[in-house]
Amino acid sequence: MSFNPKIVSFLCNWCSYTGADLAGTSRMKYASNIRIIRVMCSGRVEPTFVLKAFQQGADGVLICGCHPGDCHYHEGNYNCLRRFKLMQKFIDQMGIEKDRMKLKWISASEGKDFAKLVDQFTEEIREFGPCKVKEIVETLS
Amino acid sequence: MMEDTRIGLYVCWCGTNIAKMVDVEQVAKELGDLPNVVLSKTYKYMCSDPGQDMIIQDIQENNLNRVVVAACSPRIHELTFRRALANAGLNPYMFQMANIREQVSWVHTDREEATKKAKSLIAGAISRVAYHEALEKRTVEIDPATLILGGGIAGMSAALEIADAGKQVYLVEKKAQLGGQLLQVDLTFPFMYSAQQLRQMIIEKVVQHPNIQVFNNQVVEEVNGYIGNFSTQIKNGKKKETELKFGNVIVATGLKAFDPQGIEAYAYGKFPNVITSLEFEKMLLKGKIQTKEGKVPKNIAIIHCVGSRNKDYHEYCSRTCCMTALKFANQLKSAIPDSNVYELYADMRSFGKGCEELYTKTSTKGVTFLMFDQQDKLPEVIKAGKNDGCEMLIQMDEKLSGEEVEIPADLIVLMVGMEAHEDAKKTGHSVGISLCGNSFYIEKHPKLDPVATTTDGVYIVGNCQGPKDIPDSICQAKAAAARILGTINKKQVEIEVTTAFANEELCCGCQTCVQVCPYTALSYEEEKNISVVNEALCKGCGTCGSACPCGAISSRHFTDKQILSQIEGLMEMILQEEISEN
Repeated sequence: MSFNPKIVSFLCNWCSYTGADLAGTSRMKYASNIRIIRVMCSGRVEPTFVLKAFQQGADGVLICGCHPGDCHYHEGNYNCLRRFKLMQKFIDQMGIEKDRMKLKWISASEGKDFAKLVDQFTEEIREFGPCKVKEIVETLS
Repeated sequence: MMEDTRIGLYVCWCGTNIAKMVDVEQVAKELGDLPNVVLSKTYKYMCSDPGQDMIIQDIQENNLNRVVVAACSPRIHELTFRRALANAGLNPYMFQMANIREQVSWVHTDREEATKKAKSLIAGAISRVAYHEALEKRTVEIDPATLILGGGIAGMSAALEIADAGKQVYLVEKKAQLGGQLLQVDLTFPFMYSAQQLRQMIIEKVVQHPNIQVFNNQVVEEVNGYIGNFSTQIKNGKKKETELKFGNVIVATGLKAFDPQGIEAYAYGKFPNVITSLEFEKMLLKGKIQTKEGKVPKNIAIIHCVGSRNKDYHEYCSRTCCMTALKFANQLKSAIPDSNVYELYADMRSFGKGCEELYTKTSTKGVTFLMFDQQDKLPEVIKAGKNDGCEMLIQMDEKLSGEEVEIPADLIVLMVGMEAHEDAKKTGHSVGISLCGNSFYIEKHPKLDPVATTTDGVYIVGNCQGPKDIPDSICQAKAAAARILGTINKKQVEIEVTTAFANEELCCGCQTCVQVCPYTALSYEEEKNISVVNEALCKGCGTCGSACPCGAISSRHFTDKQILSQIEGLMEMILQEEISEN
């Protein structure tokens, strides 16, 4: 059977989740691989959420927040950005390609961009193939 | 957990919106077998009264203590279902929604894939809801004063409505004078009331009202606080800054006219007798229609949709320009009866009371209507030849006749559209509301809640929410005023309960949370070496929780356990499906 990427996504409530809703109300079509989890702010996304997703078999993790300067909570997205860079390094050391994680800014009006982003990220993850994290964990233990 | 977890699952058809793309019966049947799910049902419209009644009855008859509804976006009906839970005597937070419309049925085209995705999203919700905790409502007192940003017709109408009800209003206007766009208008369409009279009437009332304090030449930089308890600093004349306190905010900052200089075909700025609709209004206000050379124009062309309904400028319709253009034609015909008036339009938009009638009336007055194709080729203004008997010519492909025509013109009026102010974003940011792609403020719900915003206690009225005419602006203003008076009347309002809380036992006193909190809701208590949360200031973003190295801080309703179990639930469902497929 061909590889069907599993993607977990964390969207902030105010911009990105609304943007994803707009893609829906505008009936835009995008790849069905993504599973969205709503958080109030991208600043809420903890490393454990990302690790949990990979541990459970996700092949990619997409985080979206408000554009710089637009955060509903002023600066949560900046905190997210800093944490994201660290998380990328961290998963890389664990043997997960760092680009299996992506952080993008999607505003409430960018339904189209969201749909495009999902398609694009799904293809990127398809190129990577299945995430090997389970095998790595098994080898280590 | 003390009691058994008893979850009721409800999968909505949303008519055919969901049912067409998701096999709702299959979803309900299969997920009904998941642990803790006591019953599982589908219904055509879960948000309808019978739908809600069904849930309420089930909760009571089957002792359900958790509910999952798979339907539209929680941004639309989460509150509806929370209320249903409360009506059934259950804590409203024992509820989770799975978004299988905006995120599934409307965006995917393969029914099997869509059904699979719906299943995993719902499985995540079922897994999450087991960890939900009852949250108690928190109420705060409402400050009965209201801050209104913008002293145009919308802002002033709202101010009067609230002030007449006996409540204090602070009305802040950026310019030196109240009146907004009305200052620049002569007569209003379609009934030709004098804008000056309207304006004068309303400004006088506002200025003399004992409950309205007007601040001219002022801009609010930042509003602090939350519904019921906002505050801002404002310069009071040349004196030092004073602090204003208020419970609600109305944003009525309006729009501005589009600048046509970028549209080369219209030669604005190149030919002195190509003017904007606002410049023409000025002439009408002065009572003298003439060219720059002081002559009475014989041929006047009015070009519609300047900057509007055109992908190169603004895609939206500015809504008022067609009617204003017809008003101009009438005013021209009565001021200069032997003039030739040409209306160059893309589509005539004359909806609303008395507007189609105005169009019909205008078309009997010898006004020439010519249609152009906005997306194909704009009419082009060129200099006339010596023998043309006029100053300018407009060359256009007339759409209805299919012919190229040349229109003589001594005066050309460009019907400029409306667009957002440059500082719209800044203003929005100061009160915590966001902009759509056209830089209009976004309402809480485009249909069901068009004057509220996602920030409680902040309302948007008039043009800043999108182009509209005077009656529509006033309708919104009065609607927002009614909403505000309603909350003031209740004296108390419920506020965010999904705040952060700190576990003293786990806190190591590192103060990382204090640094990341954007609302100074976290402070350090030196004596105990711990961080404490001021819940009145906390807005529940959760940034502190994810920064805390000891796991001492949790965000209510977005706890680690809840989110991790959601991930677990949805991933397990995907893997299970994969296994059964292979």
